[in-house]
Amino acid sequence: MNHQPFEDWLLNDKPIQPKQKLELDAHLRICNYCAALAETGRALHSVKKVSPAAGFSARFQQRLVLQQAAERRRRLWGAVLFTFGGLVILLWIAAPYLTSFFASPATRITSLVGWGVFLVTTLRAMFEAGSVVLDVIPSFLPPFAWMVLLSAFAGISLLWSVSIWRFVRFPRGV
Amino acid sequence: MKDELAWVLQAQQGNGEAFTQLVEEYQTHVYNLCYRMLGEPEAAEDAAQETFLRAYQNLHRYDRGRSFATWLLSIGAHYCIDRLRRRKLSMFSIDEENDDGTTFEIADASSPDPEAESVKREDRDRLHILLKGLDETDRAAIIMRYWYDYSEIEIAESLSLTVSAVKSRLHRARRALAGMWQEDEPRSPRARTERRAYESPAF
Repeated sequence: MNHQPFEDWLLNDKPIQPKQKLELDAHLRICNYCAALAETGRALHSVKKVSPAAGFSARFQQRLVLQQAAERRRRLWGAVLFTFGGLVILLWIAAPYLTSFFASPATRITSLVGWGVFLVTTLRAMFEAGSVVLDVIPSFLPPFAWMVLLSAFAGISLLWSVSIWRFVRFPRGV
Repeated sequence: MKDELAWVLQAQQGNGEAFTQLVEEYQTHVYNLCYRMLGEPEAAEDAAQETFLRAYQNLHRYDRGRSFATWLLSIGAHYCIDRLRRRKLSMFSIDEENDDGTTFEIADASSPDPEAESVKREDRDRLHILLKGLDETDRAAIIMRYWYDYSEIEIAESLSLTVSAVKSRLHRARRALAGMWQEDEPRSPRARTERRAYESPAF
């Protein structure tokens, strides 16, 4: 059955001419779907709001107080864990130096030199490995492919950063 | 309106009393949306409280150029949509929960015909049940349109949609409701028309 233009008249919620009303009435007598559309329309136009049970505001105040207390507790525990964790990491890093602090001056100088040599050697090895990689890899892919890859990587990174920024700055609906 | 802005300003400066005034003023507004979205009074109470809590925590983000009521409803609608999606994921049916009757429909003192009012009430109850069959966002759009008389622009703003998306969602939801209404009441169109003889079919 053709529901037009009756379906549009019913969906648009706009007043119709008397002649159109007569046509609509005639159509509603023979069309189940449009009759249901008209009935739901009438029901939607007579809806009413419901109120919460009395004392909503007081219950909200209680919930707010509980929420604020929970937030304070969470912050306190966060601070305690952060401080404790930081201290443990600090002690772990500083332990060799603390033991050398009690050692003789010669041992202290030896460990300092050893640490410096280790740092320099590691950095040199990393630079050498990097230069080898930079020498070898470009020959596998043409410059155009590199451009595409780098652009895609930059685009995805940007999209990711913007999404996180938007999510953090503008929570849904706020 | 002037009072509302003053309360918002005071609440933004940390005045708890001013925010309580806002809760008093908008409790029905927010609760009704949550009740229509979620379908039960307990869930609606929880969602309405959560909406006010989120509003309180994000009050510094409120743009004074916008209506406070629309902002609140936007928070409430998004919260209810997320909640319904989570509920769907956990395969939990809202139909299994009971309504303990702790909500109160605002009585229409102006009604001259108790029988017609009773039929209308019956239809409203039916509509409330059928709303549960709609997609979450379509449901929010229908509630904002018919319970709050929001324009398509306001609905689009509240639900972060385009105006054309709102129009198409409203039409889709109306068609879906009509389909469910038809399935729910397999009566002849004539019987329905006769039952509604006292009313005009054009709105």
